[in-house]
Amino acid sequence: MSLIEVENLSVTFRAKGREVRAVEGVSLTVAARESYGLVGESGSGKSTILRAICGMAPVTGGRIRIGGQVLPTPRGRAFSAQVQMVFQDPYASLHPRHTIDRTLSEPLAIHGVAGSDARVVQALTDVGLPPSFRFRYPHQLSGGQRQRVAIARALMLQPAILLLDEPTSALDASVQAEVLNLLDGLRRDRGLTFLMVSHDLAVIDHMCDRLLVMQHGRAVEELARDDLAAARMATPYARSLFAASADRMLEPAGGATE
Amino acid sequence: MTALRQWLQDPSPASRRQARLGQMWLAWLRIRRNRLAMAGLVIVGTLLVVAALAPWIAPHDPLAQDLTRRLLPPLTPGNLLGTDDFGRDILSRIIYGARITLYIIGLVAVTAPVLGLLIGTVAGYFGGWVDATLMRLTDIFLAFPRLILALALVAVLGPGIGNAILAIALTAWPPYARVARAETLTVRNSDYIAAIRLQGASPARIIAGHVVPMCLPSVIIRVTLDMAGVILIAAGLGFLGLGVQPPLPEWGLMISSGRKYLFEQWWVATMPGLAIFVVSLGFNLLGDGLRDVLDPRSAAR
Repeated sequence: MSLIEVENLSVTFRAKGREVRAVEGVSLTVAARESYGLVGESGSGKSTILRAICGMAPVTGGRIRIGGQVLPTPRGRAFSAQVQMVFQDPYASLHPRHTIDRTLSEPLAIHGVAGSDARVVQALTDVGLPPSFRFRYPHQLSGGQRQRVAIARALMLQPAILLLDEPTSALDASVQAEVLNLLDGLRRDRGLTFLMVSHDLAVIDHMCDRLLVMQHGRAVEELARDDLAAARMATPYARSLFAASADRMLEPAGGATE
Repeated sequence: MTALRQWLQDPSPASRRQARLGQMWLAWLRIRRNRLAMAGLVIVGTLLVVAALAPWIAPHDPLAQDLTRRLLPPLTPGNLLGTDDFGRDILSRIIYGARITLYIIGLVAVTAPVLGLLIGTVAGYFGGWVDATLMRLTDIFLAFPRLILALALVAVLGPGIGNAILAIALTAWPPYARVARAETLTVRNSDYIAAIRLQGASPARIIAGHVVPMCLPSVIIRVTLDMAGVILIAAGLGFLGLGVQPPLPEWGLMISSGRKYLFEQWWVATMPGLAIFVVSLGFNLLGDGLRDVLDPRSAAR
């Protein structure tokens, strides 16, 4: 059975009499422990799907089910323990006035989990940060280190599903590879399910088992990783997207970002 | 002492308590490096000491009248800053007045910004009809001249220092609510608020723990800038017979009673005026320094 089921989802933003249909009739399913990618240019509605799952976008049609259950609105605490998100910009996703310790221990405090001292240190170690970073502020960390903290925060409640909203696009190339490898390792160790958004096919190719190409809020084509590697696309749009990033993708089988 | 300093400056503290104390130590170092803030701190500290030790350092009883020695100029032997129209020693009255001033400032500074922060952040965070209702309420309070509104409130509540403070606090909160709402609007849609919401935090936790810290610096600046105004409004209420009652030595009341002699005996009104000026200046300087300290990003490394 699929862990995430999105069925015919539509999201429409309304502001001052204008309507923007960000997502129109998109369906996708993600199996447990699978890594699923959403690809498209900016404005194609891929991040909006993640936000809709989290209840942060106005859903106007369709259904979202996690583990067979229709999600309640507002999402509630059970959802928090099941689904977490890593945001695109690590400079904006950490509270500038809170230490790393506070950022990481707050989810535990909200859910009444005991033993936060040890868990915070463990979480830092798990994402490859020294425990001495614990009482620093975000401005004392580099972009890659901040994104590691954001990943650690998302994993504090031990969710089964991680939504990744372009987790590396704000980082430079070498750091990007480190963070992607970290995510890959965490997924393997913990059996996580990823739903990942990116505009970069090379990143998706490296990370995902299956992917959905999106354009103007609509699904264009769904591809498995093998189809991508063999360049078996049915639609011209997916082909052009592939051509744009093919040179970084095809060299060694398995991805060039390593 | 050096061991303590080392413990405080440890770059990788072992516990939350050590980290917090270390942060406070760093904040103290930062404020000490800022000369103007230190000047402000010295002035405010002096005010506190003077208020606490008033009975011991005042040369005369602030209420003792001596009509043979009325309106003496400053530097008269025995009356350093001169005497007022009842022959009371102005220096002693200023020293005792520090207590009343501190009492008023303290209570207003604790109540008005808290009320303003609460209303502003709640309005900004929830938006919609909550925002509309609270902001129209704020507009109504802002539309009245402050002194007139305070006057009306005191008239209802009855004269006296406690009611005067309450009236000042109730008229002082709207600007804080405005400032806090503006800050909240810039913070509300940021990723870190989305992240904590996604962690399942309640609105109360988000507002108190995540939104208020972002609004505090600008509110603190406003509070310190408003302190002079608070002293003067308290004086105005006293002048109209609705605040601090004579013969209590309140600085504003002293100014208004010296008004009659402003041209011939200038010191009667000038000395308490100078006291208000110095204290307001002290609060402003301190507030400016506090803003720097409250922002960990400004820490020089």
